[in-house]
Amino acid sequence: MFEELMSIFMGDSVNIPLIQPIVDTLMGIPLINLIVAFILWRPIFHILVIPGLLGITIILLWIVYWERKLTARVQWRVGPKEVARRAGGVIQTLADGIRYFFQEVIAHRDAHKLYFIQFPLISFLPVLLPLLFIPAGSVWGIRTIYALPIALALISLIPVFILGMGWASNNKFAYIGTVREAFIYFAYEIPFIISVIAMTVIYETADFFEIVAKQSIIPGVFINPIAFIVFLITLLIATSRLPFDIPEADQEIAFGPYVEYSGILFGLVMTLPYEKLYLLSLISVILFFGGWNGPAIPILGDLAPALWLFIKAFIFMSIVSLTRSIYGRYRIDQTLKMGWSKIMALSIIGLILSAGVAIW
Amino acid sequence: MVKIVKPPKVDITRTVIGHLKAIGEATKQAIAPDTITIHYPRERRKYPDNFRGLMIFSKDECISCFRCAHICPANAIQMFPDENGRYYPGVDYAKCILCHFCIDSCPTAALKPSKIHDVAFKDVESMFIKEMDGIPEIKREDKKLVEYDFEEDLKITKRKYVENLIVEVPKPPRPKMIAAVKSPENCIGCRLCFFACPVDAISSKAEELEIILDTDPKKCTGCGICVRICPTDVLILQPVREG
Repeated sequence: MFEELMSIFMGDSVNIPLIQPIVDTLMGIPLINLIVAFILWRPIFHILVIPGLLGITIILLWIVYWERKLTARVQWRVGPKEVARRAGGVIQTLADGIRYFFQEVIAHRDAHKLYFIQFPLISFLPVLLPLLFIPAGSVWGIRTIYALPIALALISLIPVFILGMGWASNNKFAYIGTVREAFIYFAYEIPFIISVIAMTVIYETADFFEIVAKQSIIPGVFINPIAFIVFLITLLIATSRLPFDIPEADQEIAFGPYVEYSGILFGLVMTLPYEKLYLLSLISVILFFGGWNGPAIPILGDLAPALWLFIKAFIFMSIVSLTRSIYGRYRIDQTLKMGWSKIMALSIIGLILSAGVAIW
Repeated sequence: MVKIVKPPKVDITRTVIGHLKAIGEATKQAIAPDTITIHYPRERRKYPDNFRGLMIFSKDECISCFRCAHICPANAIQMFPDENGRYYPGVDYAKCILCHFCIDSCPTAALKPSKIHDVAFKDVESMFIKEMDGIPEIKREDKKLVEYDFEEDLKITKRKYVENLIVEVPKPPRPKMIAAVKSPENCIGCRLCFFACPVDAISSKAEELEIILDTDPKKCTGCGICVRICPTDVLILQPVREG
C-alpha cells in the first residue's frame, strides 16, 4: 500500500532544486520518505506550506505587528518594542499568541456553549477551503475554470461564522456587533462582486491561470482602475479594517461579536479578519497586479511563482494597513449610504468600462 | 427667520488633492517619523541645572547653622546629633516638597541640588533619612542624552553622552565663625564650656560675685561645642566680619 501511496505522491510532487539534496537524503529513510513525499505532494504543499498554513502563520505574525508599528510611527508613538528590543519588537505577536494560549478560556453561563466554542474552530473552514482554489503559479490545490466564483463564494461565508459567534455569545455588545456585521455585509458584498465581475469581463475567464497569463504585459489595475478602487474600499469594509471597523469597534462595543471570547479562542477569532484580508489580498494581487508574474528564479523551481504571489500579497497587505492611520472612522449609516450609493455607482461604472474594453 | 444650512459643496478636485496630501503625509511619517518620545530608562532628558531634584548633602561642608531646618516650609528637615555631638540635617522626603529653600539658604553649599528625580523608597519610614551624607547609590541605565529643540518645529537631538546628575555649584567662601559671649548675665559659672573646648579658647575668672567669660578669637575654630553645651544660652556662634 505504501508503494501505491508513494507513487501517487511522487507522481505530482513539487520540484524545488534548492532543497533537492536534502529531499534525496530523506527519501532514503523508510516512513520519513512517506511524510516528505506527502508534504511535497502538490495539493498538500499548496495547503500546508505556501500560500497555505505556513504562509498564513507568517502573515499573521507579521501583519499584527506591522499594523501596530506603522500606526504608531504615523502617530508619533513608538509601538511594540520591548519584546526583542534589538529587532524592534518583531516577535511581539508571537509573545501575544503564547499569552493567549495559556490564558483560561471562559464560556460564560448565558452562552450557547456548543456553538460558542465550535464556531471559532470551524471558522477555519471558510479560510482554508477558498485557499484550495487560489493557485500560486505551479503550486495549486484544485484546478478548475470556476475557481474565482467558488473562492469568492467560500470567502463570503466568513461573515456567517461571525454572525454565529455573535449569536452564540448572547451578549448585548455582541448582538449590536452582529447586527452591524449583517448590515454592512449586504452593503459591501454587491459592489465587491460587481467589481470582480468587471475584471472577469475584461479577462473573459474566471480561471486564475488564464487571468494571470493575460496580465503578463499590463496589470489589471491599469486596465480598469475604477474596479480596483471599488475592490480596495470593499476589501477594507469586508475585513473590518479601519476606517471601517464598524462590527468590531473596540471604542464603542468592545470588539463586537468577539466580546465574550478569551484565551486561545479570542486568539483564533481575532485573526479571522486578518485571514480574510490575506485571502482577499491574494485574489486582488491575482486580479489587479499580475499574480505570480515575476522574474524567474531557476534555483527555486516551482516555489518561485508561489513566492512572488506571496511577496506581492505581503506588500499589498502592508500598504493597505496604512489606511488605518490616515482616515477617521466611519459610522454605520455613513458606510451603508456609501456602500449602497457611491460605491455601487462606481462599481457599475467600472463594469461599463470593462464592457467597453472587452468590446474594443 | 429660518436659516437653512446647506451642506458644503463637494469639489472633486479638492477632495482628491486632500486625499493625496493625507496619504503623502502618512507615508512620510511612516518612513521618517518626527517622534519626540524619550525612551526613559535608556535615555534621559537634559534637565536644566536649576532642576529641583533630590538633595545631596556633604557633612564636611556643614557648619551646623540650622538655617535649612528653620527655613523649611514643610518642616521636613530636622537636625540630628552625630557621635561627635555636632548637629546635621536629616530630611523627611514624605514631607519634603522639593522647593530647595534649604539649598538656597545654605551658606557653605553643603546642601547641593541634583537632577535625580526617580527615587524609590521601600516604605514611609525609610523616606525619613536621618543621616544623609554623600551621593546616594544611583543605578544608571541611560546611554544617551536627549535634548528638545523648540525652535521652528519641535525636534529632539540625541547625544551619546551620560550626564552627571549632581549639579556642581560654586563653593562660597566658608564664613569663619567664632564663639562669642551674647548674654554674660545668664552665666551660672558651671564652666562646662571651659572643659568642653578642645582648643582651650575659653577663659573664665570670677571677680567678686560676677563671672567674666571670655573667648580667644585667635584660638577659636568655631566648632560650636561650647554653644550647644551651655545650659543657659550664654554663648552664640558669630560670623567674623572683615575688618
